[in-house]
Amino acid sequence: MGTFIQLVIDGLSTGSIYAALALAIVLVNQATGLINFAQGGMAVLSAYIAWALNGFGVPILPAILAAIVASFLLGAIIERYLIRRFEQGDPDTAVVVTIGLLTLITGFCAWVWTYNNRLFPSLFPLETIKVAGAVISVRSLGTIIVIVVTMLLLQALFLGTKLGLALRAVAINPASAAFSGINVGRSLMTGWGLAAVLGAVAGVLVAPQLTLTPGMMDSALVYALAACILGGLSSPIGVVVAAWLIGVLENLAAVYIPFIGHDLKIAVPFILIFVVLIVRPQGLFGRKAVVRV
Amino acid sequence: MPSTAESTSRTPVLARPWVRWAGIGLVIVLLVVGPLLLPEFANQTIARIGVFAVAVLGLNVVMGYTGQVSLGQIFFVGVGAYATAWGVDNDWNVVLVFALACVVPAVIGLLVALAAARLGGLAIAMVTIALPIVGVPLAKRLSDLTGGSQGTSARFTDAPEWTGLYDDQWQLYIVILIAGITFLLTRNLVRGKYGRAFAIVKGNEAVAGSMGISPYRYKVLAFTIASLIGGVSGFLYMVVIQYTSPETLHFGHSIELLASMVIGGAGSILGSLLGGAWYVLLPQITNLIDPNITAMLQGAILLIVLFILPGGLVSLPRLWRRRRGSLSTPVPDQTTPTHDAVIIHTERQDQ
Repeated sequence: MGTFIQLVIDGLSTGSIYAALALAIVLVNQATGLINFAQGGMAVLSAYIAWALNGFGVPILPAILAAIVASFLLGAIIERYLIRRFEQGDPDTAVVVTIGLLTLITGFCAWVWTYNNRLFPSLFPLETIKVAGAVISVRSLGTIIVIVVTMLLLQALFLGTKLGLALRAVAINPASAAFSGINVGRSLMTGWGLAAVLGAVAGVLVAPQLTLTPGMMDSALVYALAACILGGLSSPIGVVVAAWLIGVLENLAAVYIPFIGHDLKIAVPFILIFVVLIVRPQGLFGRKAVVRV
Repeated sequence: MPSTAESTSRTPVLARPWVRWAGIGLVIVLLVVGPLLLPEFANQTIARIGVFAVAVLGLNVVMGYTGQVSLGQIFFVGVGAYATAWGVDNDWNVVLVFALACVVPAVIGLLVALAAARLGGLAIAMVTIALPIVGVPLAKRLSDLTGGSQGTSARFTDAPEWTGLYDDQWQLYIVILIAGITFLLTRNLVRGKYGRAFAIVKGNEAVAGSMGISPYRYKVLAFTIASLIGGVSGFLYMVVIQYTSPETLHFGHSIELLASMVIGGAGSILGSLLGGAWYVLLPQITNLIDPNITAMLQGAILLIVLFILPGGLVSLPRLWRRRRGSLSTPVPDQTTPTHDAVIIHTERQDQ
């Protein structure tokens, strides 16, 4: 039983990382209708910025906050000067643009900071607490709490503020939003900026665990994409639940199903996707997209 | 319409039949003579371009022509390569090996497509992304068939004695022959009845359905053909590289194939060839410039090319002609028909 609880908590913790990245992807998808493959790369860059600032003697928490601000600006700039040109065109081209961006950012990180693993200071003490026979690390709990708080803040922003209302309006119908006086371009920049912030949070949370490398978020990105499809791209809550589900199930499957083991556990979310999508093509919580002919 | 007449008078030379036949003849002569004259490194590079051009061509069938995002193309290339290695190891006849390398990926592709084609848009992308991601650990696990992490090699394309050719020349001839036939057959497929059905499925599924074209069936068909062509590419991969490991079907390569397809030109036969060239040459070029920043350069070049040519490299002549056209024809109202006529012309040149 102790192992089980431990696996579930650890699964929720890694699931939270996927959830943050997945939320960023959903945010971008809702705003601009494309999947940003560079989201993980941008998150890694944010983590590197925090790491570099920390290296210059800035304490870790202010360094992370500075990196988050930088990420917001970076996301907004990328939307304005790179993605804007491809938003109205062929969606495949736009996806490849984000792939190019991923290559560029990863290459940039590798060039500046090399491929060597960098130790990233943890935000949380490396202690464990014993609950019901399970050894739970404070880091796992901290990660979960940070993500939940971030999610609640985001939800409050979207539902409770004028800015959030504008962002939602632009996502639903850019043309009507523009007619009612909303600056669509600036809203899209804000959306990308917020997504980059979410990515940055995921990056600094995962960096102490995996150590910082340019390809750190590659597999997290795959899991996040899986969570997006599983939860349904139109439902932020669904995506988070799906991300947690993936994190927990893959941990459990790796230990309790001998055939899967640790090397094949990456197959778990996809088997799940396959089964779910056959039954519900719009995802667990998604709304069915109705296409007007 | 004066504008149409103008555009035909602008590109008459390339459209004339004898010029086209002469062009085709020239290409064939170059392909026959080239391998004999070029140095070994050039031959190997051209052969590898052929391998990946076929892979991009397969991706184009399902994505460029039918509009279904597939991130799993490299998986079928890998399966084709593994099937080839297995067949050679078990001393099958080379024709049977080739058939095996086509059939196994096609059957897997069919099975995946039967489920995946029910999903639209991004869901199909996610199901296909799973193939290489699950494929790598699976290939390591099934070490009896695949040789595990070590990979497996098969030497079956050494030049026979009677030809007097070097190995690289012989291999290049095999690649040219098989890739050429694959390109020709695919070109006929996408220009004909099936190609038009694919285009309607891509354009509007409801319209396709109302015309008696089942989107589901044609999606499955396109995906299966793409997998089969991926298998052909896998066979050629073994002809040229003679070694495969789980790394072959790494998911990153699938993404690179996708990028190459869009860079070359989605929905274009010539674009597939350009995409293959891009896939092979870009890393070599960036390596020459500065090995420390290859990844960064690749990303930057990709973005720059797409910024200038959102339609891919294949749209370069169109852009150039439009530039020239806008200089010579100051009347803006007539640009639309001219533009259409120009598109038809570029498509003709693709053939």
